[in-house]
Amino acid sequence: MTSVLRSENLTKRYGRRTALSGCTLDVPVGQVVGLVGPNGAGKSTLLQLACGLLEPTAGMIEVLGERPASGSARVGFVAQDAPVYAGLTVAEHLRLGARLNPSWDSAIAEQRIAQAGLDPSQKAGKLSGGQRANLALTVAVAKRPELLLLDEPVAALDPLARRLFLQALMELVAEQEMTVIMSSHLVSDLQRICDHLIVLVGSQVRLAGDVDDLLASHHRLIGPRRESVDVASYGWTLIEDRHTAAQSTLVVRSTAPIDDPSWQADQLDLEDILLAYLSESAPAAAPERVLEAQR
Amino acid sequence: MTWLAWRQFRTQAIVGAACLAVLFGALLFTWWQVRGLAVSTGYTGCTGNDCQNAADSFLDEIEQSLAGRVQLAGVGASFGLPALVGVFWGAPMVARELETGTYRIAWSQTVSRRRWLLVKLSVGGLAAVLVAGALSLALTSWAQPIDDAHATLAHANLITPLVFSTRGVVPIGYATLAFAIGVTAGLMLRKTLAATAVTLALVVATQIGAVELRPLIADPVHRVTALTAERANMVARMNDVVTRVEGWPSETDSWELSNTIVTTPGGPEYRGPTDQEKCTPDCREWLGAQGLLQEERYVPARRFWLVQWRELGVLLTLTAALSLISLWWIRRRPA
Repeated sequence: MTSVLRSENLTKRYGRRTALSGCTLDVPVGQVVGLVGPNGAGKSTLLQLACGLLEPTAGMIEVLGERPASGSARVGFVAQDAPVYAGLTVAEHLRLGARLNPSWDSAIAEQRIAQAGLDPSQKAGKLSGGQRANLALTVAVAKRPELLLLDEPVAALDPLARRLFLQALMELVAEQEMTVIMSSHLVSDLQRICDHLIVLVGSQVRLAGDVDDLLASHHRLIGPRRESVDVASYGWTLIEDRHTAAQSTLVVRSTAPIDDPSWQADQLDLEDILLAYLSESAPAAAPERVLEAQR
Repeated sequence: MTWLAWRQFRTQAIVGAACLAVLFGALLFTWWQVRGLAVSTGYTGCTGNDCQNAADSFLDEIEQSLAGRVQLAGVGASFGLPALVGVFWGAPMVARELETGTYRIAWSQTVSRRRWLLVKLSVGGLAAVLVAGALSLALTSWAQPIDDAHATLAHANLITPLVFSTRGVVPIGYATLAFAIGVTAGLMLRKTLAATAVTLALVVATQIGAVELRPLIADPVHRVTALTAERANMVARMNDVVTRVEGWPSETDSWELSNTIVTTPGGPEYRGPTDQEKCTPDCREWLGAQGLLQEERYVPARRFWLVQWRELGVLLTLTAALSLISLWWIRRRPA
């Protein structure tokens, strides 16, 4: 399996502020990749580095086997807030795409505009947030990129528009051979459509992996309250722990099935897993840790 | 890319063309008035010595007519054009895209940042050339009889700073340079308002600086002549003491840079002392006998086109340099 995006120790600083630090990733091709993290975690920075709008301060990034440069025919990008030219009409945006991209597929563009119910003669500045997001996505998709980067594409949309947008995106991915990396600070947006997830917290990668693997390897363990659990001796990685007077609840990562009868093991859904990683107490990029139960 | 650059520039181009059309309308409206006055004052078709008087009254009539006001407006527009081009065409061209974030959609298409900027620079630059060229051409042809009359009277007209940069080819240089200043400022400052202010300041500074520096490329005539009684022109007195002596210029149709009375070439200006008895009531005879020298530096009218082409060359070089800096900057310093 080849990589669509590979980075090593990728770091971006704006003056003294670090937006992304030591980011090492290997994203396989042909998937829908979710990039999750709270606001300010470095999602936009990572995506803009990937499309060449930003230059890394340190480290290496390779997209489709090349150093990213803006103006590439192989990468499509829809920036945060889906910028469009307010003074240009919908039809003029399509014309812009056709003029500026040799690989332009006008059939897809026309079809998507019709599907989204956009009036070609309307000025883009007068579109609603959802319509604007659809227009920006159309321009990015009709370019027929191998990799489509979407930065918070549904953030401005209401729940219904959000669902429609994601549905349209899924259809596109099914029709075209295209890898999609989309960021969101909302887990629920991603769990429906993503095959691969990257969790960014505080400018660092906290978790990266295929959704199926993540689901199979994370467990919620409930058992009587313990003073301390040496999770490492079981071959587990502790993600989160909570304790009440009577019982301890752990979220652990383990590739092997949990066979210790003193714990009741439950499956977690993706949202639970991500929330465990996003919570403050979670460890950075999987160090082994001995649990000290709190009194 | 050309289509997009033009589409984004279209409104500004139309507004600019409309302003230019208003001015052209005024020039056209007074076109026959200028020619009519040249005929009615006898300047057109004059011969010999009559021409001087006819030219004089023709220029007087012009000054009091509507055409005189239109001429002033034309000169004002010519001086204001670079600032307008820089502020309304240059500064927003890139700054607005950076400010509103639309550069991210443009740079995500299959077009390099350099080409994107190069096309924008070309479209705006070409428009600046057209507007400035059209204005200069219109003003020059409209004012032809007036300029002829000034030439008849050996007035310093075209070569003086007030007229020089509104005629010939230099307006094109000023407009393109102002445009490049605007684009570069917008690219570096990333804010339309800040870029506008900086552009305005830089364009005005360029126009003032150009007048100061023009003698460097104008090859001024340096001339030292003996001050005779006939050449002594003005003697300023204060309480019967001569405070300042001036001499007639050697060529009246020239841009005078300096004209001083000295005792030795390159020496300090002569300020007396004078023989008060012999200087009353008229000092000129006495001054003429003192062996004083008149030292002049001036740019004669015949250098007009030489200076025009040289100045255009300098301005276009600066424009090209700024454009190259922008193209380098956009590649090295992305968003």
